[in-house]
Amino acid sequence: MGELEDRRTAVSEARFESLLDTAADGVIVIDETGRMLVFNKICEQLFGYTSQEAIGQNVSLIMPPEFSVSHDRFMNNYHRTGERRIIGIGREVSGMHRDGTVFPLELSVGEAKTAEGRQYIGVLRDLRSRRAVEQRVSQLQAQVVHMTRLSAMDEMGAAMAHELNQPLTALLLYLQAVARQVRACHADAKPPSDKMLDVLDKAVLEAERASHIVQRMRQMVEKRDPERATVDLREVVNEALDLSEFVAQGATVTIRRVFGMTPIQVDADATQIQQIILNLLRNALEVAKESEERWVKVSIGSDDRSAFVSVTDSGPGFSEDVGKSLFRTFSTTKKSGMGLGLAISRAIAQNHGGDLMADPGGNGQGATFTLMLPMHHSDEAEEDTWG
Amino acid sequence: MYIIVEDDPSVADALESLLSGAGLPVRVFASAEEFIHSASPAPDDTMIVDLGLPGMSGGELVRHLEKAGATPKVIAISGKSSRTIARETEGLADVKILRKPPAADWLEAITA
Repeated sequence: MGELEDRRTAVSEARFESLLDTAADGVIVIDETGRMLVFNKICEQLFGYTSQEAIGQNVSLIMPPEFSVSHDRFMNNYHRTGERRIIGIGREVSGMHRDGTVFPLELSVGEAKTAEGRQYIGVLRDLRSRRAVEQRVSQLQAQVVHMTRLSAMDEMGAAMAHELNQPLTALLLYLQAVARQVRACHADAKPPSDKMLDVLDKAVLEAERASHIVQRMRQMVEKRDPERATVDLREVVNEALDLSEFVAQGATVTIRRVFGMTPIQVDADATQIQQIILNLLRNALEVAKESEERWVKVSIGSDDRSAFVSVTDSGPGFSEDVGKSLFRTFSTTKKSGMGLGLAISRAIAQNHGGDLMADPGGNGQGATFTLMLPMHHSDEAEEDTWG
Repeated sequence: MYIIVEDDPSVADALESLLSGAGLPVRVFASAEEFIHSASPAPDDTMIVDLGLPGMSGGELVRHLEKAGATPKVIAISGKSSRTIARETEGLADVKILRKPPAADWLEAITA
Protein backbone atom coordinates (compact mmCIF):
# COMPACT_ATOMS: atom_id res chain seq x y z
CA MET A 1 0.00 0.00 0.00
CA GLY A 2 2.72 2.45 1.08
CA GLU A 3 4.86 1.44 -1.87
CA LEU A 4 2.04 2.05 -4.30
CA GLU A 5 1.44 5.46 -2.75
CA ASP A 6 5.11 6.33 -3.14
CA ARG A 7 5.10 5.22 -6.78
CA ARG A 8 2.01 7.26 -7.49
CA THR A 9 3.58 10.31 -5.88
CA ALA A 10 6.76 9.79 -7.90
CA VAL A 11 4.79 9.52 -11.14
CA SER A 12 2.71 12.58 -10.44
CA GLU A 13 5.82 14.53 -9.45
CA ALA A 14 7.51 13.54 -12.71
CA ARG A 15 4.44 14.62 -14.62
CA PHE A 16 4.39 17.90 -12.73
CA GLU A 17 8.09 18.49 -13.51
CA SER A 18 7.65 17.88 -17.22
CA LEU A 19 4.53 20.02 -17.27
CA LEU A 20 6.45 22.85 -15.63
CA ASP A 21 9.29 22.55 -18.08
CA THR A 22 7.07 22.61 -21.13
CA ALA A 23 5.10 25.61 -19.85
CA ALA A 24 5.48 28.72 -21.97
CA ASP A 25 5.53 30.91 -18.87
CA GLY A 26 7.92 31.07 -15.98
CA VAL A 27 6.66 29.23 -12.90
CA ILE A 28 7.97 29.72 -9.37
CA VAL A 29 6.67 28.20 -6.17
CA ILE A 30 7.68 29.74 -2.83
CA ASP A 31 6.93 28.85 0.75
CA GLU A 32 5.73 31.18 3.49
CA THR A 33 9.22 32.51 4.12
CA GLY A 34 9.79 33.40 0.44
CA ARG A 35 12.11 30.43 -0.20
CA MET A 36 11.89 29.12 -3.78
CA LEU A 37 10.76 25.49 -4.08
CA VAL A 38 10.20 25.32 -7.83
CA PHE A 39 12.03 27.22 -10.57
CA ASN A 40 11.18 25.97 -14.07
CA LYS A 41 13.10 26.03 -17.38
CA ILE A 42 11.58 29.29 -18.58
CA CYS A 43 12.66 30.93 -15.31
CA GLU A 44 16.20 29.71 -15.97
CA GLN A 45 16.14 31.59 -19.28
CA LEU A 46 14.42 34.64 -17.81
CA PHE A 47 16.72 35.12 -14.86
CA GLY A 48 19.99 33.33 -15.77
CA TYR A 49 20.08 30.98 -12.75
CA THR A 50 19.82 27.19 -12.98
CA SER A 51 17.03 25.64 -10.94
CA GLN A 52 19.66 24.06 -8.65
CA GLU A 53 21.07 27.52 -7.94
CA ALA A 54 17.69 29.13 -7.39
CA ILE A 55 15.85 26.51 -5.36
CA GLY A 56 16.27 27.11 -1.66
CA GLN A 57 17.12 30.79 -2.10
CA ASN A 58 14.81 33.67 -1.22
CA VAL A 59 12.74 34.91 -4.17
CA SER A 60 14.28 38.36 -3.72
CA LEU A 61 17.18 36.90 -5.74
CA ILE A 62 15.27 37.68 -8.95
CA MET A 63 13.90 41.08 -7.97
CA PRO A 64 15.48 44.50 -8.24
CA PRO A 65 16.76 45.42 -4.72
CA GLU A 66 14.16 48.18 -4.22
CA PHE A 67 11.36 45.60 -4.49
CA SER A 68 12.93 42.74 -2.56
CA VAL A 69 12.70 44.71 0.71
CA SER A 70 9.04 45.46 0.30
CA HIS A 71 8.25 41.92 -0.79
CA ASP A 72 9.09 40.50 2.66
CA ARG A 73 6.97 43.26 4.20
CA PHE A 74 4.03 42.47 1.90
CA MET A 75 4.20 38.75 2.66
CA ASN A 76 4.28 39.42 6.41
CA ASN A 77 1.40 41.82 6.02
CA TYR A 78 -0.64 39.20 4.16
CA HIS A 79 0.02 36.54 6.77
CA ARG A 80 -1.05 38.92 9.52
CA THR A 81 -4.09 40.55 7.92
CA GLY A 82 -5.08 38.20 5.10
CA GLU A 83 -5.38 41.31 2.89
CA ARG A 84 -4.72 40.33 -0.70
CA ARG A 85 -2.61 42.70 -2.70
CA ILE A 86 -1.74 40.43 -5.61
CA ILE A 87 -3.05 36.92 -5.04
CA GLY A 88 -5.67 36.08 -7.62
CA ILE A 89 -5.24 39.50 -9.20
CA GLY A 90 -1.96 39.64 -11.09
CA ARG A 91 -0.07 42.75 -12.05
CA GLU A 92 2.92 44.14 -13.87
CA VAL A 93 6.16 43.99 -11.89
CA SER A 94 9.89 44.26 -12.50
CA GLY A 95 12.25 41.29 -12.48
CA MET A 96 16.05 41.27 -12.43
CA HIS A 97 18.32 38.96 -14.43
CA ARG A 98 21.52 37.59 -12.93
CA ASP A 99 23.47 40.14 -14.98
CA GLY A 100 21.52 43.00 -13.36
CA THR A 101 19.14 43.70 -16.25
CA VAL A 102 15.76 44.85 -14.92
CA PHE A 103 12.77 44.03 -17.15
CA PRO A 104 8.94 44.13 -17.01
CA LEU A 105 7.02 40.99 -16.08
CA GLU A 106 3.38 40.13 -15.81
CA LEU A 107 2.92 38.20 -12.55
CA SER A 108 -0.10 36.20 -11.42
CA VAL A 109 -0.03 34.53 -8.03
CA GLY A 110 -2.05 31.61 -6.70
CA GLU A 111 -2.06 30.19 -3.18
CA ALA A 112 -2.02 26.53 -2.08
CA LYS A 113 -2.49 25.28 1.48
CA THR A 114 -0.26 22.20 1.95
CA ALA A 115 0.78 20.02 4.83
CA GLU A 116 4.02 22.02 4.95
CA GLY A 117 2.19 25.32 5.23
CA ARG A 118 1.08 27.84 2.70
CA GLN A 119 2.78 27.93 -0.69
CA TYR A 120 2.49 30.50 -3.44
CA ILE A 121 2.64 29.77 -7.14
CA GLY A 122 3.77 32.59 -9.36
CA VAL A 123 3.32 32.54 -13.12
CA LEU A 124 5.59 34.99 -14.91
CA ARG A 125 5.44 36.35 -18.43
CA ASP A 126 8.17 38.43 -20.00
CA LEU A 127 6.63 41.70 -21.21
CA ARG A 128 9.64 42.93 -23.16
CA SER A 129 8.50 41.72 -26.57
CA ARG A 130 5.05 43.18 -26.02
CA ARG A 131 6.68 46.43 -24.96
CA ALA A 132 8.77 46.48 -28.11
CA VAL A 133 5.65 46.03 -30.22
CA GLU A 134 3.87 48.81 -28.34
CA GLN A 135 6.83 51.10 -28.85
CA ARG A 136 6.97 50.29 -32.54
CA VAL A 137 3.27 51.00 -32.91
CA SER A 138 3.61 54.35 -31.22
CA GLN A 139 6.62 55.21 -33.42
CA LEU A 140 4.65 54.30 -36.53
CA GLN A 141 1.79 56.41 -35.32
CA ALA A 142 4.08 59.38 -34.85
CA GLN A 143 5.33 58.86 -38.41
CA VAL A 144 1.85 58.65 -39.84
CA VAL A 145 0.83 61.76 -37.94
CA HIS A 146 3.85 63.46 -39.45
CA MET A 147 2.77 62.32 -42.91
CA THR A 148 -0.79 63.52 -42.55
CA ARG A 149 0.55 66.77 -41.23
CA LEU A 150 2.65 67.06 -44.39
CA SER A 151 -0.30 66.33 -46.66
CA ALA A 152 -2.32 68.88 -44.71
CA MET A 153 0.57 71.22 -45.48
CA ASP A 154 0.03 70.64 -49.20
CA GLU A 155 -3.52 71.83 -48.85
CA MET A 156 -2.42 74.69 -46.67
CA GLY A 157 0.50 75.63 -48.90
CA ALA A 158 -1.47 77.87 -51.23
CA ALA A 159 -3.33 79.54 -48.38
CA MET A 160 -0.09 80.08 -46.47
CA ALA A 161 1.70 81.54 -49.49
CA HIS A 162 -1.16 83.98 -49.85
CA GLU A 163 -0.97 84.84 -46.16
CA LEU A 164 2.77 85.47 -46.34
CA ASN A 165 2.33 87.56 -49.46
CA GLN A 166 0.38 90.26 -47.65
CA PRO A 167 2.87 91.12 -44.89
CA LEU A 168 5.81 90.76 -47.27
CA THR A 169 4.16 93.09 -49.76
CA ALA A 170 3.41 95.66 -47.08
CA LEU A 171 6.91 95.30 -45.63
CA LEU A 172 8.63 95.86 -48.97
CA LEU A 173 6.42 98.81 -49.84
CA TYR A 174 7.10 100.47 -46.47
CA LEU A 175 10.82 99.98 -47.00
CA GLN A 176 10.62 101.35 -50.54
CA ALA A 177 8.72 104.36 -49.22
CA VAL A 178 11.20 105.08 -46.45
CA ALA A 179 14.22 104.50 -48.68
CA ARG A 180 12.90 107.12 -51.11
CA GLN A 181 12.30 109.59 -48.33
CA VAL A 182 15.73 109.05 -46.81
CA ARG A 183 17.32 109.59 -50.21
CA ALA A 184 15.27 112.76 -50.70
CA CYS A 185 16.30 114.10 -47.27
CA HIS A 186 19.88 113.27 -48.03
CA ALA A 187 19.75 115.17 -51.30
CA ASP A 188 18.32 118.22 -49.53
CA ALA A 189 20.75 117.80 -46.59
CA LYS A 190 17.77 117.59 -44.18
CA PRO A 191 17.58 115.26 -41.14
CA PRO A 192 15.22 112.26 -41.41
CA SER A 193 11.70 113.04 -40.16
CA ASP A 194 9.63 111.27 -37.48
CA LYS A 195 7.30 110.14 -40.24
CA MET A 196 10.05 107.88 -41.56
CA LEU A 197 10.43 106.31 -38.14
CA ASP A 198 6.67 105.62 -38.10
CA VAL A 199 6.94 103.88 -41.44
CA LEU A 200 9.91 101.85 -40.21
CA ASP A 201 7.93 100.79 -37.12
CA LYS A 202 5.12 99.61 -39.37
CA ALA A 203 7.62 97.72 -41.49
CA VAL A 204 8.88 95.90 -38.39
CA LEU A 205 5.29 94.94 -37.48
CA GLU A 206 4.76 93.46 -40.93
CA ALA A 207 7.99 91.48 -40.69
CA GLU A 208 6.76 90.10 -37.35
CA ARG A 209 3.41 89.22 -38.87
CA ALA A 210 5.21 87.20 -41.53
CA SER A 211 7.44 85.45 -39.03
CA HIS A 212 4.46 84.48 -36.87
CA ILE A 213 2.89 82.77 -39.84
CA VAL A 214 6.12 80.87 -40.45
CA GLN A 215 6.30 79.88 -36.77
CA ARG A 216 2.79 78.49 -36.82
CA MET A 217 3.58 76.54 -39.97
CA ARG A 218 6.70 75.16 -38.36
CA GLN A 219 4.80 73.97 -35.32
CA MET A 220 2.55 72.03 -37.64
CA VAL A 221 5.28 70.23 -39.57
CA GLU A 222 8.00 69.58 -37.04
CA LYS A 223 8.32 65.90 -36.38
CA ARG A 224 8.77 64.86 -32.80
CA ASP A 225 8.00 62.06 -30.36
CA PRO A 226 4.64 62.04 -28.64
CA GLU A 227 4.76 64.31 -25.61
CA ARG A 228 2.17 63.77 -22.93
CA ALA A 229 1.25 66.60 -20.61
CA THR A 230 -1.74 67.60 -18.54
CA VAL A 231 -3.55 70.15 -20.67
CA ASP A 232 -6.87 71.99 -20.77
CA LEU A 233 -8.75 70.36 -23.62
CA ARG A 234 -10.58 73.62 -24.35
CA GLU A 235 -7.31 75.44 -25.04
CA VAL A 236 -6.00 72.63 -27.22
CA VAL A 237 -9.19 72.58 -29.31
CA ASN A 238 -9.39 76.38 -29.45
CA GLU A 239 -5.92 76.57 -30.93
CA ALA A 240 -6.79 74.02 -33.58
CA LEU A 241 -9.94 75.94 -34.48
CA ASP A 242 -8.04 79.22 -34.66
CA LEU A 243 -5.55 77.63 -36.99
CA SER A 244 -8.27 76.17 -39.14
CA GLU A 245 -10.14 79.47 -39.37
CA PHE A 246 -6.90 81.19 -40.19
CA VAL A 247 -6.26 78.80 -43.07
CA ALA A 248 -9.85 78.90 -44.30
CA GLN A 249 -10.07 82.67 -44.23
CA GLY A 250 -12.93 83.97 -46.30
CA ALA A 251 -14.68 80.61 -46.15
CA THR A 252 -18.42 80.83 -45.78
CA VAL A 253 -18.92 78.13 -43.14
CA THR A 254 -19.52 79.33 -39.59
CA ILE A 255 -17.71 77.48 -36.80
CA ARG A 256 -19.71 77.51 -33.55
CA ARG A 257 -17.82 76.81 -30.37
CA VAL A 258 -19.80 75.38 -27.48
CA PHE A 259 -17.37 75.36 -24.54
CA GLY A 260 -17.99 75.42 -20.79
CA MET A 261 -16.33 77.79 -18.34
CA THR A 262 -14.34 75.23 -16.34
CA PRO A 263 -11.03 73.77 -17.51
CA ILE A 264 -11.16 70.17 -18.70
CA GLN A 265 -7.86 68.51 -17.83
CA VAL A 266 -6.63 65.56 -19.86
CA ASP A 267 -3.24 63.86 -20.21
CA ALA A 268 -2.48 64.10 -23.87
CA ASP A 269 -0.10 65.07 -26.63
CA ALA A 270 -1.61 68.42 -27.60
CA THR A 271 -0.32 68.34 -31.17
CA GLN A 272 -1.72 64.86 -31.84
CA ILE A 273 -5.08 65.86 -30.40
CA GLN A 274 -5.05 68.94 -32.62
CA GLN A 275 -4.32 66.68 -35.57
CA ILE A 276 -7.48 64.76 -34.80
CA ILE A 277 -9.54 67.93 -34.39
CA LEU A 278 -8.16 69.44 -37.61
CA ASN A 279 -8.93 66.24 -39.44
CA LEU A 280 -12.50 66.11 -38.13
CA LEU A 281 -12.92 69.78 -38.87
CA ARG A 282 -11.62 69.48 -42.41
CA ASN A 283 -14.14 66.72 -43.11
CA ALA A 284 -16.99 68.64 -41.46
CA LEU A 285 -16.21 71.88 -43.32
CA GLU A 286 -16.09 69.94 -46.60
CA VAL A 287 -19.60 68.61 -45.95
CA ALA A 288 -21.02 71.83 -44.46
CA LYS A 289 -19.84 73.85 -47.46
CA GLU A 290 -22.30 71.94 -49.66
CA SER A 291 -25.18 72.23 -47.20
CA GLU A 292 -27.81 74.93 -46.94
CA GLU A 293 -27.10 76.19 -43.43
CA ARG A 294 -23.29 76.02 -43.63
CA TRP A 295 -22.20 75.61 -40.05
CA VAL A 296 -19.96 73.32 -38.02
CA LYS A 297 -20.48 72.99 -34.30
CA VAL A 298 -17.61 72.04 -31.99
CA SER A 299 -18.65 71.29 -28.42
CA ILE A 300 -16.62 70.16 -25.42
CA GLY A 301 -17.97 68.43 -22.35
CA SER A 302 -17.01 65.94 -19.67
CA ASP A 303 -18.25 63.59 -17.00
CA ASP A 304 -16.33 62.09 -14.05
CA ARG A 305 -14.26 59.77 -16.17
CA SER A 306 -14.12 61.14 -19.70
CA ALA A 307 -13.81 64.33 -21.69
CA PHE A 308 -15.56 64.71 -25.05
CA VAL A 309 -15.07 66.84 -28.13
CA SER A 310 -17.90 66.59 -30.65
CA VAL A 311 -17.80 67.94 -34.18
CA THR A 312 -21.19 68.17 -35.91
CA ASP A 313 -21.84 69.53 -39.40
CA SER A 314 -24.94 70.94 -41.04
CA GLY A 315 -24.82 68.32 -43.80
CA PRO A 316 -27.22 65.45 -44.46
CA GLY A 317 -25.35 62.76 -42.47
CA PHE A 318 -24.06 59.43 -43.79
CA SER A 319 -25.87 56.36 -44.98
CA GLU A 320 -25.56 53.42 -42.64
CA ASP A 321 -23.21 51.59 -45.03
CA VAL A 322 -20.80 54.50 -45.26
CA GLY A 323 -20.97 54.91 -41.49
CA LYS A 324 -19.90 51.32 -40.97
CA SER A 325 -16.87 51.46 -43.24
CA LEU A 326 -15.76 54.94 -42.20
CA PHE A 327 -12.89 53.85 -40.02
CA ARG A 328 -11.58 51.06 -42.18
CA THR A 329 -8.05 52.04 -43.11
CA PHE A 330 -7.48 52.63 -46.82
CA SER A 331 -10.94 51.33 -47.71
CA THR A 332 -12.25 54.83 -48.18
CA THR A 333 -14.26 55.76 -51.22
CA LYS A 334 -12.53 58.39 -53.32
CA LYS A 335 -15.55 60.58 -52.89
CA SER A 336 -15.36 60.93 -49.13
CA GLY A 337 -11.59 60.41 -48.84
CA MET A 338 -11.82 60.32 -45.07
CA GLY A 339 -11.04 56.71 -44.15
CA LEU A 340 -7.32 56.97 -43.60
CA GLY A 341 -7.52 60.17 -41.61
CA LEU A 342 -10.24 58.77 -39.38
CA ALA A 343 -8.45 55.47 -38.84
CA ILE A 344 -5.31 57.32 -37.81
CA SER A 345 -7.30 59.67 -35.61
CA ARG A 346 -8.97 56.75 -33.89
CA ALA A 347 -5.60 55.02 -33.38
CA ILE A 348 -4.23 58.17 -31.77
CA ALA A 349 -7.32 58.47 -29.56
CA GLN A 350 -7.01 54.85 -28.46
CA ASN A 351 -3.33 55.28 -27.81
CA HIS A 352 -4.41 58.00 -25.35
CA GLY A 353 -6.79 55.55 -23.65
CA GLY A 354 -9.75 57.14 -25.42
CA ASP A 355 -11.69 56.53 -28.61
CA LEU A 356 -13.20 58.18 -31.65
CA MET A 357 -16.85 57.50 -32.40
CA ALA A 358 -19.11 58.39 -35.31
CA ASP A 359 -22.83 59.10 -35.25
CA PRO A 360 -23.86 59.01 -38.92
CA GLY A 361 -26.87 61.30 -38.39
CA GLY A 362 -29.36 61.35 -41.27
CA ASN A 363 -33.01 62.46 -41.45
CA GLY A 364 -32.04 66.10 -41.46
CA GLN A 365 -29.29 65.53 -38.88
CA GLY A 366 -25.65 66.06 -39.76
CA ALA A 367 -22.96 63.56 -38.80
CA THR A 368 -21.27 63.89 -35.41
CA PHE A 369 -17.76 62.68 -34.64
CA THR A 370 -16.88 62.46 -30.96
CA LEU A 371 -13.37 62.23 -29.58
CA MET A 372 -13.34 60.74 -26.09
CA LEU A 373 -10.33 61.05 -23.78
CA PRO A 374 -9.92 59.94 -20.17
CA MET A 375 -9.99 62.79 -17.65
CA HIS A 376 -6.79 63.58 -15.78
CA HIS A 377 -6.86 62.25 -12.19
CA SER A 378 -4.26 63.77 -9.92
CA ASP A 379 -4.69 61.23 -7.10
CA GLU A 380 -3.70 58.30 -9.28
CA ALA A 381 -0.50 56.92 -7.75
CA GLU A 382 0.06 53.36 -8.96
CA GLU A 383 2.81 51.53 -7.13
CA ASP A 384 4.88 49.21 -9.20
CA THR A 385 5.77 46.57 -6.62
CA TRP A 386 5.53 42.87 -6.06
CA GLY A 387 3.25 43.36 -3.08
CA MET B 1 -5.44 110.91 -58.47
CA TYR B 2 -4.22 107.47 -57.44
CA ILE B 3 -7.02 105.20 -56.26
CA ILE B 4 -6.14 102.13 -54.21
CA VAL B 5 -8.71 99.34 -53.81
CA GLU B 6 -7.19 96.76 -51.46
CA ASP B 7 -8.80 94.84 -48.59
CA ASP B 8 -5.61 94.11 -46.62
CA PRO B 9 -5.19 97.22 -44.40
CA SER B 10 -1.40 96.87 -44.13
CA VAL B 11 -0.85 96.53 -47.85
CA ALA B 12 -3.21 99.48 -48.48
CA ASP B 13 -1.43 101.62 -45.88
CA ALA B 14 2.04 100.73 -47.20
CA LEU B 15 1.00 101.54 -50.75
CA GLU B 16 -0.44 104.84 -49.57
CA SER B 17 2.80 105.65 -47.71
CA LEU B 18 4.82 104.94 -50.83
CA LEU B 19 2.66 107.09 -53.13
CA SER B 20 1.89 109.97 -50.79
CA GLY B 21 5.51 109.99 -49.63
CA ALA B 22 6.36 110.81 -53.24
CA GLY B 23 3.89 113.71 -53.05
CA LEU B 24 1.15 112.01 -55.10
CA PRO B 25 -2.58 112.40 -54.29
CA VAL B 26 -4.04 109.12 -53.00
CA ARG B 27 -7.44 107.72 -51.97
CA VAL B 28 -7.89 104.28 -50.40
CA PHE B 29 -10.91 101.97 -50.55
CA ALA B 30 -11.22 98.59 -48.79
CA SER B 31 -13.62 97.01 -51.31
CA ALA B 32 -14.94 97.35 -54.85
CA GLU B 33 -18.40 98.11 -53.49
CA GLU B 34 -17.13 100.92 -51.27
CA PHE B 35 -15.37 102.49 -54.24
CA ILE B 36 -18.39 102.22 -56.58
CA HIS B 37 -20.70 103.80 -54.00
CA SER B 38 -18.51 106.78 -53.27
CA ALA B 39 -16.49 107.69 -56.33
CA SER B 40 -16.20 107.45 -60.08
CA PRO B 41 -12.80 107.59 -61.75
CA ALA B 42 -11.64 110.33 -64.10
CA PRO B 43 -9.78 109.31 -67.30
CA ASP B 44 -6.46 110.57 -65.97
CA ASP B 45 -6.75 108.66 -62.66
CA THR B 46 -4.68 105.59 -61.96
CA MET B 47 -6.45 102.72 -60.21
CA ILE B 48 -4.49 100.13 -58.27
CA VAL B 49 -6.84 97.18 -57.75
CA ASP B 50 -6.27 93.99 -55.81
CA LEU B 51 -7.65 91.13 -57.90
CA GLY B 52 -8.55 89.00 -54.85
CA LEU B 53 -11.05 91.37 -53.21
CA PRO B 54 -13.81 89.78 -51.15
CA GLY B 55 -17.30 90.39 -52.54
CA MET B 56 -16.95 91.92 -55.99
CA SER B 57 -13.51 90.83 -57.21
CA GLY B 58 -10.91 93.15 -58.70
CA GLY B 59 -11.50 91.68 -62.16
CA GLU B 60 -15.24 92.31 -61.91
CA LEU B 61 -14.61 95.88 -60.78
CA VAL B 62 -12.43 96.60 -63.82
CA ARG B 63 -15.06 95.02 -66.11
CA HIS B 64 -17.73 97.12 -64.41
CA LEU B 65 -15.71 100.30 -65.04
CA GLU B 66 -15.10 99.37 -68.68
CA LYS B 67 -18.82 98.82 -69.19
CA ALA B 68 -19.60 102.14 -67.55
CA GLY B 69 -17.28 103.78 -70.06
CA ALA B 70 -14.73 104.94 -67.54
CA THR B 71 -11.18 104.53 -68.82
CA PRO B 72 -8.72 105.16 -66.02
CA LYS B 73 -5.31 103.54 -66.17
CA VAL B 74 -5.63 100.25 -64.27
CA ILE B 75 -2.91 98.37 -62.42
CA ALA B 76 -3.95 95.03 -60.99
CA ILE B 77 -2.08 93.59 -58.00
CA SER B 78 -2.27 89.94 -56.97
CA GLY B 79 -0.43 87.33 -54.94
CA LYS B 80 -1.94 84.42 -56.84
CA SER B 81 -0.38 82.09 -59.39
CA SER B 82 0.12 83.35 -62.94
CA ARG B 83 -2.51 80.91 -64.19
CA THR B 84 -5.10 82.26 -61.76
CA ILE B 85 -4.18 85.83 -62.67
CA ALA B 86 -4.55 85.03 -66.37
CA ARG B 87 -8.01 83.57 -65.71
CA GLU B 88 -9.10 86.49 -63.57
CA THR B 89 -7.97 89.14 -66.06
CA GLU B 90 -9.23 87.32 -69.16
CA GLY B 91 -10.91 89.67 -71.63
CA LEU B 92 -9.71 92.83 -69.91
CA ALA B 93 -8.31 95.36 -72.33
CA ASP B 94 -5.12 96.83 -71.03
CA VAL B 95 -4.23 95.88 -67.51
CA LYS B 96 -0.78 96.07 -66.05
CA ILE B 97 -0.11 93.33 -63.45
CA LEU B 98 2.03 93.75 -60.36
CA ARG B 99 2.61 90.58 -58.37
CA LYS B 100 2.85 90.33 -54.59
CA PRO B 101 5.30 90.38 -53.01
CA PRO B 102 7.01 93.17 -55.02
CA ALA B 103 10.11 92.16 -56.96
CA ALA B 104 10.91 95.74 -58.00
CA ASP B 105 10.13 99.33 -57.05
CA TRP B 106 6.38 99.68 -57.28
CA LEU B 107 6.38 103.49 -57.36
CA GLU B 108 8.29 103.43 -60.62
CA ALA B 109 6.03 100.70 -61.97
CA ILE B 110 2.86 102.56 -61.00
CA THR B 111 3.88 105.99 -62.21
CA ALA B 112 5.60 104.76 -65.38
